[in-house]
Amino acid sequence: MTSLEIRELGVHLGNREVLHDLNLTIPSGSFAAILGPSGCGKTTLLRTIAGLVRPSAGAIRFGKQLVSVSSLVLPPHKRNIGYLPQESGLFPHLSVGENVGFAFKKEVKAEQRREIIDEMLELVGLTGFADRKPHQLSGGQQTRVALARALAIRPAIVLLDEPFSNLDHALRAEVSGEVVSLLKKTKTTSLMVTHDREDALVSADLIALMRDGRVVQSGTPESVYMAPASADIAESTGDILELPAQRLLKNRKKLISPLHLSAKKASGDAETGSILIRPEEIRVYEKKSNLPTAKITQIHYYGHDAILELALPGFSKEVKVRVTGPLNFEVGKTVALEHVGPIRWVTKKPTDE
Amino acid sequence: MAIINPLSAKKVKGGTVENPPSPLLIFAGLVTLSLAALPIAYLVRRATQIDAQSLSIVLFRAKTLEIIFTTLSLALFVALFATALGVGIAWMLNNVALPFLGLIRALVVLPVAIPSYVFTYSWLSLGFLPSGFIAAVVVLTLSTAPYVTLAALAAFKRIDTSQLDVAQTLGLNQFGTFLRVTLPQIRNAVGAGSLIVALYVLSDFGAVSLLGVDTFTRAIQNTYQGSFDRGSAAILALFLVAISSTVISLEIKSRESTVTVKSSVQITKRLPYNNSIRVKLVAAIAIIAYLALALVAPLSVLLYRFFSRVSPLDVTELVNAAFSTITVSILGALIAMLLAIPVAFLAVRGTWIGVWSERAVLLVHALPGIVMGLALVSFGSEFPVIYQTIGLLAFAYSILFLARSVGSIRAAFGKVPLSLTEIAATLGQTRSRTFYRVTLPLAAPGVLTGTLLVFLSAMKELPATLMLRPTGFETLATEIWNNTAIFRFSEAAPYALLLVAIAAIPTFLISRPDRESERGELQ
Amino acid sequence: MKRFLALMSALALTAALAACSSGDGEGSGLLIYSGRSQEFIEPFFAAFTEETGIQIEVRYGDSAALAAQILEEGGNSPADLFLSQDAGALGAVSGANLLAALDPALLGRVAGTYRSPLGDWVAVTGRVRVFAYAPDRVASLPDSVDDLIDPIWKGRIAIAPTNSSFQAFVTAMIQTRGERATENWLNGIKANKPKLYEKNSLIVQAIDAGQVDAGLVNHYYTWEVEEELGREINVKNAFFSPGDLGNLVNVSGVGILSTSTDQDLASQLVDFLLSEEEQKQFVSETHEYSIVLPGLRPDGLPALEEIAAPRVNLAALSDLQRTQNLLIKVGLL
Repeated sequence: MTSLEIRELGVHLGNREVLHDLNLTIPSGSFAAILGPSGCGKTTLLRTIAGLVRPSAGAIRFGKQLVSVSSLVLPPHKRNIGYLPQESGLFPHLSVGENVGFAFKKEVKAEQRREIIDEMLELVGLTGFADRKPHQLSGGQQTRVALARALAIRPAIVLLDEPFSNLDHALRAEVSGEVVSLLKKTKTTSLMVTHDREDALVSADLIALMRDGRVVQSGTPESVYMAPASADIAESTGDILELPAQRLLKNRKKLISPLHLSAKKASGDAETGSILIRPEEIRVYEKKSNLPTAKITQIHYYGHDAILELALPGFSKEVKVRVTGPLNFEVGKTVALEHVGPIRWVTKKPTDE
Repeated sequence: MAIINPLSAKKVKGGTVENPPSPLLIFAGLVTLSLAALPIAYLVRRATQIDAQSLSIVLFRAKTLEIIFTTLSLALFVALFATALGVGIAWMLNNVALPFLGLIRALVVLPVAIPSYVFTYSWLSLGFLPSGFIAAVVVLTLSTAPYVTLAALAAFKRIDTSQLDVAQTLGLNQFGTFLRVTLPQIRNAVGAGSLIVALYVLSDFGAVSLLGVDTFTRAIQNTYQGSFDRGSAAILALFLVAISSTVISLEIKSRESTVTVKSSVQITKRLPYNNSIRVKLVAAIAIIAYLALALVAPLSVLLYRFFSRVSPLDVTELVNAAFSTITVSILGALIAMLLAIPVAFLAVRGTWIGVWSERAVLLVHALPGIVMGLALVSFGSEFPVIYQTIGLLAFAYSILFLARSVGSIRAAFGKVPLSLTEIAATLGQTRSRTFYRVTLPLAAPGVLTGTLLVFLSAMKELPATLMLRPTGFETLATEIWNNTAIFRFSEAAPYALLLVAIAAIPTFLISRPDRESERGELQ
Repeated sequence: MKRFLALMSALALTAALAACSSGDGEGSGLLIYSGRSQEFIEPFFAAFTEETGIQIEVRYGDSAALAAQILEEGGNSPADLFLSQDAGALGAVSGANLLAALDPALLGRVAGTYRSPLGDWVAVTGRVRVFAYAPDRVASLPDSVDDLIDPIWKGRIAIAPTNSSFQAFVTAMIQTRGERATENWLNGIKANKPKLYEKNSLIVQAIDAGQVDAGLVNHYYTWEVEEELGREINVKNAFFSPGDLGNLVNVSGVGILSTSTDQDLASQLVDFLLSEEEQKQFVSETHEYSIVLPGLRPDGLPALEEIAAPRVNLAALSDLQRTQNLLIKVGLL
């Protein structure tokens, strides 16, 4: 049970500064997800924590132990971590059992070895697979063996690099669910890198959002989703609508925007900015007075819900709205929209993208 | 590590910790480098002992220019034709539904088991070889094509076959697909095979001497054993080294400028055979023709001579020679393996010392056996304990053929995914344990192939063997020579046949496709 | 993996043991580097051992190659004696001061030209250059090598310019006539488009097969080829007129290495080889000429004295460099 603490980490790869002044703390026993777009440096961060990349600045601690300070590093084989890369990385020339028991020291007796291997395999639901070869396993099974292998040495920290992205969709949810619950059950401090925001939101106790080599916001999934620090950051966790608006200085709750018609022209002072709205925070009605209307331009039907794209007068981009339940709309219909979520005000002018 | 489209791949660096290699490894690499440098050092020493007049004669006479031209054009033509022939055969083996595929593959590679002097002698006996240079091109092409075939076959296996399907839907016929999709991807591997062929031609003496082609090896031989002028001979040999060095640099340059693919998903599906009758017929005829010329013809001559022998077969001598050949060749192969592993490892990691060791080793490979022999006579006679012992002879073999070993082992190390070694590190393995538990086992097939190649070449070696062998120690190659020297070709035949038979074993093993590694690449 | 390593170590160990146990104790016995092939010379060595009890170890090889090796070994050469197929190789080793002076009594058994002027090697047998020809295709025999420049011989002659015996012949010509004249002769031969072969035996074989009408070879090859093919061949030997350069007599000879630690024993071998009995054996067994007993005639050939070989400094035949340069210049090499 070890916490992970990263302070002002800097990493240079070639000429580029990939990580810059990165700070992150993961309490012991929690499952954290690092979410970010491709190229933001999340894999590099993971590899640096694993000891496979040498940082140029900053410090990393596992619990009380300092594993890296500036360019001084503890080599990876001494860090007692578990590492699950994107491809399961099973050793093809060894059996499943030999893979799982790979990290055991020579002093471990054969009996004990066998015991732990069986225990691990049972933990991941692959009892009896010890003598099979990796190429005989399915993708999901390989991932589970890789997990068993990583956990066999009771690592202080487990690092996962998009380990489920190679699995097909239906399998992904099942396997990731199992893996995450196993890690949580064993109270292993885990850090998973992913670009799949749903995955992160569902699995993690703590989410860290990365952009351009630094962590821009971290917190529980709910806090990160509901209270993003900016439109950009909000984008990491879900669709977001950035609507230009004005709000009265005297009454901050009064908004003037294409979606809010309640207040007329600003009487007196109003500041300009924008509000961030999630698709599920707009309610759709057939018709209602006092509400702005918009025409449906596209419908994305997912079965369990649907996303409507609407053309809102006064706003140049499509507005996305999530509706659940039976679908009563078609493309071309005009509906009324109501903003029902919290007001997330961003003071700066929205930039045209 | 994302899946990359091989056709537009950039070399993706993982940003590893890049620790400098361990001192032990560097030391091992240096040892190999200095051992490989021995013959070069010998040449430089002798060359500097030359007097000014002889030096100017050697350097500036018109004949030297002619020799350069002849040697280069011979190497060029043979490399070209052998590459075309080798790739063609490999393509047919890979894409045409031929019966007895395993057998044909083994047979097609078998010509390398026949030493070039035996091969040439047989063809001369048949009586219809055209003039010297052309005959040499034909003979050397036929006997070296298998090296390219092997390289091409290995490269074909690594191609993503779905690309070939796409290409065909985009309107390319089989030949067009081959030219525009397959060829660029196998270029590197085939290039390495062509390099081996070129260096082989540069160092070959058997064929060119019998056919009277004026290459460097012949000039060197005539100078050492004609005018006994070691200074001039050394200069000529250094010329040869310079030429080989240029050839090697060209190949390395061409290797670097092409794409290196490291996709994480290997698709080794077999393309379903889909050939017209015409293609099948052409393939069958081509392969039969090749086998007839490169295998059946020389073997028939040998068998004919064997059965028209006058004196009875001395089985004891035959068995002794065979046993000696196998012993010293295996020893040489093992030494080569031990020397090659550190160099290959350092080279594949791209370190300075690895790269230069590999080049030195390639350079030495281009030297004719006589130079290696004399270099080690010069060095070895200083130490009576090792002089003219099996150990020294095995050592000579290992240095002469080290390039084969290094090439194969380096390719094998290169195929071990970086991710696996990284994972091993995270699983608590030090670098050396990772090497022994992960890298080496996965590279084992390549190590074996490299060692077998050295074993094969050592068995056929003649000039260095004659000089360095213990007195009274006869290999099959020296026995062949003993007999042909006094025109007892029929007496030589049993030894030649036995040599080919024994050499066929490693040849066959080398030609088999790697089932282990195929499985290993599935991730 | 473990099994692989175990197998490899076992093999390595066996091989290493084999490696150490190569050279048997040098102690008693002679080590000979012999340019003469095992088949022909071994009986003589066996007879010597039987007579004297001295053990002999022989390293067989090509005379020139062995000479090159001895030169490279220099003062470290383990050899006691060097038995060479031709005088040139002996001369080269002598020229590097690696041969010891021989007992004058031994030297005295052969005529002056058939031993080293420095007294460090001596001829054992003689081999004569001849004109081998197919009797049914060659009507009139040439009197002299100079006749071969005549256009009637165009395309009908074979020579082996890379072979040391031909080069020795050319060297002799340079010695007696000078470089300019030799060059003219060579150009004349070249103009006649001779067929080139690597070995003398190939020339005789070619004559028999009808590929060429005649050639310049050493005298015993006709006999050798007949033995090999097991039948009579359509080739006969002819000599040029007495004293002609074409009748060059070259010798196989022997010298004692100055690095030898058993020079007395070595001297005994030289004595043995030059003895009357062994010399008679050479003539009858290997069809060579005896220098010691010039009156003896190998089967079907005139005696040495009747041939009237040209007077040539055999020792100087080691200066093949000039010869080679000339042959290269003319375009025959």
